[in-house]
Amino acid sequence: MYIIKNAMKNISRSLGRNILIGIIAFVIAISSTVALSIKQSAISAEEEALKGLVITASISVDRQKLQSEAGTDRELMMELTNSVGILSLEELQKYATSEYVSTFNYTIESSVAENDEFEAYTETEEVVQADPTSNTKIDTNIGVPHTNLGGFSGIGQQGDFTVVGYNDEPGMSDFINGQNKITDGSIFNFTADYTCIISDTLAVYNEIGIGDTITIKNPNLETEIYTLTVSGIYSSTLTSDDVDLKFSAAQDPANQIYTSYNTLSLLAATSSENATVSTNDDGVEVTTALRSTVAGVYSFSNIENYESFKASLTSMGLGEYYSLNSSDLSNYENSLTPIKNLSDFADLFLVLVLGIGGVILVVLNIFNIRERKYEVGVLTAIGMKKFKVALQFMTELFMVTFLAIIFGTIAGAFLSVPIADKLLQNQITAQETTQSQQEENFGRPGMGGGLGGGLGIPVEEDVNYLDSINAATDVSVIAQLMGIGLLLTVISSLGAIVFIVRFEPLKILSNRN
Amino acid sequence: MSILKLENLTYSYDGSKNSILKGISREFEKGSIYAIVGKSGEGKTTTLSLLSGLTSPSEGNIYFDGQNLKNIDKYRYRNTMVGVIFQGYNLLPQLTAEENVVLSLDLTGKKIRNKKEVARKALLSVELDNEKAKRRILKLSGGEQQRVAIARTLCYEPDIILADEPTGNLDNDTGDGIMNIFKKLAREENKCVIIVTHSDKVASFADKVITLKNGLMV
Repeated sequence: MYIIKNAMKNISRSLGRNILIGIIAFVIAISSTVALSIKQSAISAEEEALKGLVITASISVDRQKLQSEAGTDRELMMELTNSVGILSLEELQKYATSEYVSTFNYTIESSVAENDEFEAYTETEEVVQADPTSNTKIDTNIGVPHTNLGGFSGIGQQGDFTVVGYNDEPGMSDFINGQNKITDGSIFNFTADYTCIISDTLAVYNEIGIGDTITIKNPNLETEIYTLTVSGIYSSTLTSDDVDLKFSAAQDPANQIYTSYNTLSLLAATSSENATVSTNDDGVEVTTALRSTVAGVYSFSNIENYESFKASLTSMGLGEYYSLNSSDLSNYENSLTPIKNLSDFADLFLVLVLGIGGVILVVLNIFNIRERKYEVGVLTAIGMKKFKVALQFMTELFMVTFLAIIFGTIAGAFLSVPIADKLLQNQITAQETTQSQQEENFGRPGMGGGLGGGLGIPVEEDVNYLDSINAATDVSVIAQLMGIGLLLTVISSLGAIVFIVRFEPLKILSNRN
Repeated sequence: MSILKLENLTYSYDGSKNSILKGISREFEKGSIYAIVGKSGEGKTTTLSLLSGLTSPSEGNIYFDGQNLKNIDKYRYRNTMVGVIFQGYNLLPQLTAEENVVLSLDLTGKKIRNKKEVARKALLSVELDNEKAKRRILKLSGGEQQRVAIARTLCYEPDIILADEPTGNLDNDTGDGIMNIFKKLAREENKCVIIVTHSDKVASFADKVITLKNGLMV
């Protein structure tokens, strides 16, 4: 008890020295608080982001594997490509039975042509109008804003509209994430009742209202006309400017027509039944059937399930040339890059602060002890054990450090939020600049995932970086700071303790006298 | 029975072949004042350091109340059994007179109810009033500091009081006052007071004068 009492007396009576130690500890505490808060917040942000993350993935042809198998042999590449078919809905559903899959949704997509009564919205000269009389082969997968379609089956004409049929509402991600929103009427029925929703642009352009019917044509057979009833009109935040390389009007977001999977698959099936097959001048068989492609999206509740599903696909019968891909996961990982960088920076900063601060405190304490050598001599001469002398000196240091850490933590807690946000913004800017430069280096200034997805070029999709962190100084940070304070006190006292143990009271006092 | 006994005490400084103390044997009793005199360099202060446990003899033994000092914790010996009054007082300047005395009481480890009261009594016994008790050491005169040093040893009532040149820095009157305190301690409180001095006047207060010469006590 008297050790604490004496320590307090000594602190109050040697204010200059203790204020100096306090300032150093205060600076260390502020810096450590900021660094620890950033680190803690980065961990929390990562966990929170992971908690809210619903991973969706789709199975597609592994083009990279095909490429590596074929090497430079073009014919082999074509042969391999032709041998790997697009998975049917039945096959996709088979994998959806896996215990790791939370939900499975699927879509069907077709390209249809306009007619005089219902015209596609066009605004740019880039649009290539479909010519039903021409047999020009257009890879209809190019530039389609919806990726992971896996390519259309067979070669057909590109239309003016893209019709997408959904099996259920949870699969309509554009409506779930708020990109699209019903502004009039209601969503179509998921049964095959030939209802659909169209964009507000298309509705205004063709003076269409709720309950009106629209007629669209099979681009491969202009006499094949489909009639759909408009049950709703939606608006979209996506405009034609957001879509790169518009090869046809069908790629304009305004020309997207949404209906149920049942409706569109029925139209495609009927068209297929009534189709005629002929051979063109190039000797290629051409069918008049409406082309359609089916895609499936698997949802997972966490990364572990996703990884387990990926690992189990081969045993479930998936061929070696298919792979499971998730843009959500890569986006999630990319979105955390600035925060991870910041966290790494915080680690380094913490080590530097503690290292430099620790050395300064050790040196200061050694000087301090040398200065108080006489006191050590007197105390030991009158019967105070050396370890108690050391304990008293440590207590003094701990009290000063503890007080400085309390004030440093308070100041650091206030400073950590603006500092963390500023550093994070710098990280994001640096990351975006690097990304942008890389894109430019590949000759793709400002291009999104559309081209890459279609051409099989690995292009980074736009990443929504986590741009704010709640740099909170919580109990964990305070506990760590207390630990740091204690550690610093012990480390900086070690030198002093060595001196105290080595001091001989008689020598000290003889020299003094 | 003697409270302190020296048995064939020999001491030489580290690395030195010549012993400064050569096989001294002597007994000290309670209720007496002893003056150890001798020329400079004869080993007076060294003897005091040996008796206070601040250093250990090269050969021989020191017995306190029949117990070999080698078997006694030196810190405990110094903070309860023996009181050492250093030539330079060796008080803590950042503390007040009272706090210096209280610190000595703290070191004894004894449960004393009102240490401040005990400290004040000790200070009063060496004629330092409450006002002076509250002063820091550097605000006191040399004589007053010497009294604080004495009070610091008196407060825990040791059996032996060792003093190194206790009047060396003091004027005659103050020195006489200090010596009267020692006389009182020996006579009235049955303490064994051992004073190291080169002053004949101080030696004249002693019951027994021991001269150190050529490493021997004569």
